[in-house]
Amino acid sequence: MSALLFLLPLAIVLGGVFVALFLVAAQDGQFDDLDEDARRAVEEN
Amino acid sequence: MSPAAAALPSAARDAAVALGPLPTAPATAAHARTECAHCGAALERGVVSGAEYCCAGCEVAAAIVKGAGLEKYYTDREAPAPRPGPLATGWADWPRESCADGTEAIWLRVDGLRCASCAWLVERAVAALPGVAEARVSPISGRARISWHPEQVGLDSIAGRVAALGYRPRAAVDAGAPDRGLLLRLGVAAFSASNVMLMSASVYAGWWDGMAARETALLGWASLAVATPAVLWAAEPLLSGAVNAVRHRVLHIDLPVAVGIVAMYVHGIWATFHGQDTWLDSLTMLIALLLAGRMIEQRGRRRALEAATALAGTAPRVARRLDGDRIVSVAAADLLPGDLVQIGSGEELCADGTVVTGGGQIRMALVTGESEPVQAGPGTAVFAGTLLQDGALTVRVAHPAADSLVARMAAELARATDRPTPASLPDRLAGPFTAATLVLAAVGAVGWTLADGPAEGIAVAMAVLVVACPCALALAAPLTTAAGLGAAARRGLLVRSGEAFRTLADIDTVALDKTGTLTRGEPEVVSADDTVLRIAAGLERGSVHPIARAIVAEAGRRGVALPVCLDPREEPGFGVSGLVDGVRYTLSSAGPGLVGLTGPDGALGTVRLADTLRDDAARTVAALRARGLHVALLSGDHPDVAARMAAHAGIDTVIGAATPGQKAAWIAARRAEGRRVLFVGDGVNDGPALAEADVGIAMGGGAASSLLVADAVVIQEGLAPVIAGLRAAESAAKALRGSAIRSTTYNVLAVLAALVGWINPLIAALAMPLSSAMVLAGAASVERRVRRGEAT
Repeated sequence: MSALLFLLPLAIVLGGVFVALFLVAAQDGQFDDLDEDARRAVEEN
Repeated sequence: MSPAAAALPSAARDAAVALGPLPTAPATAAHARTECAHCGAALERGVVSGAEYCCAGCEVAAAIVKGAGLEKYYTDREAPAPRPGPLATGWADWPRESCADGTEAIWLRVDGLRCASCAWLVERAVAALPGVAEARVSPISGRARISWHPEQVGLDSIAGRVAALGYRPRAAVDAGAPDRGLLLRLGVAAFSASNVMLMSASVYAGWWDGMAARETALLGWASLAVATPAVLWAAEPLLSGAVNAVRHRVLHIDLPVAVGIVAMYVHGIWATFHGQDTWLDSLTMLIALLLAGRMIEQRGRRRALEAATALAGTAPRVARRLDGDRIVSVAAADLLPGDLVQIGSGEELCADGTVVTGGGQIRMALVTGESEPVQAGPGTAVFAGTLLQDGALTVRVAHPAADSLVARMAAELARATDRPTPASLPDRLAGPFTAATLVLAAVGAVGWTLADGPAEGIAVAMAVLVVACPCALALAAPLTTAAGLGAAARRGLLVRSGEAFRTLADIDTVALDKTGTLTRGEPEVVSADDTVLRIAAGLERGSVHPIARAIVAEAGRRGVALPVCLDPREEPGFGVSGLVDGVRYTLSSAGPGLVGLTGPDGALGTVRLADTLRDDAARTVAALRARGLHVALLSGDHPDVAARMAAHAGIDTVIGAATPGQKAAWIAARRAEGRRVLFVGDGVNDGPALAEADVGIAMGGGAASSLLVADAVVIQEGLAPVIAGLRAAESAAKALRGSAIRSTTYNVLAVLAALVGWINPLIAALAMPLSSAMVLAGAASVERRVRRGEAT
């Protein structure tokens, strides 16, 4: 079970990296308009 | 392009002068087209053989569409294009952003987008201009992001092209991004919740299979570490909401929630140090759920805010000031009373003031709701945000931009949106909830401490605080209201705020305006002789005046071929004259609702016009009365006219000859009697009544000033959306009541179970999402209830 001592902090750090990526993406406006790009994708020619 | 449009030098000029009649050609056999190929307006029969467009503006717009290879627009569009109007100018001075790669960029609001194809067309037509780097137009938000290379193309050409297509570009006031704070917090809270839940599940598994104390402690510390950002940062809006409520001495559902959050977190720290079970999984899940509810609520509120900023955006922010004999570009906000500013053709006025020199036609729709332009000359009072259709003015500024009528209207709206409204049902329950929770937690703590010692006392008190936390109740109002708002919007009624929507459910009196609400708001020909109609329609062909349109449309309906009119002369405020069949005729007003035709030998006859009831007026009134509502008609028209209309529509309470102030006073009097009044109106000076009523609904297409003070706007033709809105509000209120009862019952039962020691962290973590799911089911039932209401 001592693997837990190493894996648990690692998992949290990895998760933290993904949260940080999410925060950067959201700040960049990735989620500002969720409908617009969906509409664009089906309408494009 | 036909000779008519080719003769005009540039697209920009065309659009500015487009509204005049086309040069005429002898009438020939009827051609295939009956509608303008661009804007869909009715084409007069037999005017120009093979004519495809109603005016030069539409012809230019179509030429742009074809020139850019965008004909697909005509097959894909769901609504006809707007008819090109006067061109906006002065864009060269608009503030824009300079980007690192040498391009310039701006956020625009584009008015007149009717469907996705409109946005597509604007986007492609702008992108086709050489020098434009990027153009993105969203039909949903009506906003456009455009960037361009300033050395190749100017903002004037870009805005000019948008205007030539019939759409109105404006600078977006709230340029940039919407508030992303809640989304960021929700992301962090969801991360914490899911990970704490995983680790807690391992701990719970250890209850049965056994787990070494070291591993349990490790998982406990990890949970605390992951939960901490959720509590200290993500939960900030929830906690500050509670602090605000306490500071303003109002009860809010945030208060008991905040008590629960703080108690759970403080206990979590203490319990982790002492190696005991925590409630951190329930805590983080609760924060994530509540933030999600907040975000749904915020989306609705943002729309109301956009309406306010849209209004502020109608007045230009740049002015051309006369300093002696020089013209200087200054910010409109810096204008002082007494300054002289110049306004050109097609520009919106930048300040309130008085015309000093010059003259022109001003479209005052923003202020009065009157779509017909008003003649302005020296001495005329003019208002910021109104549109000079043609002419040129020098205006002496009356007051600073911040005090202009349009700015005051925007301020009024901002005030109206945070007008104190009855708190939602969950808020009214917040007080008893908080008190009962604290008392019961204390009772549990004391009772169990006396029986089994302080450890058990603390555990039971915590269990009470956790399960009493009214998460589901706090979610009920935003989720149910959002569902109701959606149901109303799908049926043509856009409600600005959740508060107004909840008030809509308690309405017991409906006051209707006449013109434009109960009636179409446009005149129709009631009676006319065919011969008179033929000549009148010939004279009025090409005019955009509502009476002219009615006459031409009636001629089309009767199949009367329009004669050619030579040398047409329009005298504003008097009438029109022209040569038909070689004889000069004059068409002029002959009293209210009456137009007289005069030939060389005197009067020939009259055309009678009247505003007629909407098709669904009587049905709507009957439906309102069937709901047990008191219906009244408030009209500025003559009492006899109002009474006749009311009788046709089935209304028995009629107030005729009412000034805007009297309408508002009538509503105020009903409210003083304790009634809840809904006012439905549009157009001229309904603002005070719309603002005074508990809920004000504006008919779309009415005066901008009414649209902006209204709590809700009807976006479909007819009155049916009003009924649909009332039905949706009532359904949402019922669903909310049901959710409140169910979630409160859950809290009461769970607290009783906690008091007798049956609740542990695992049971709490399972029960809380179940109670929230009940609320979700309640919100989902709104649409079903509305449908059931429609079926009966």
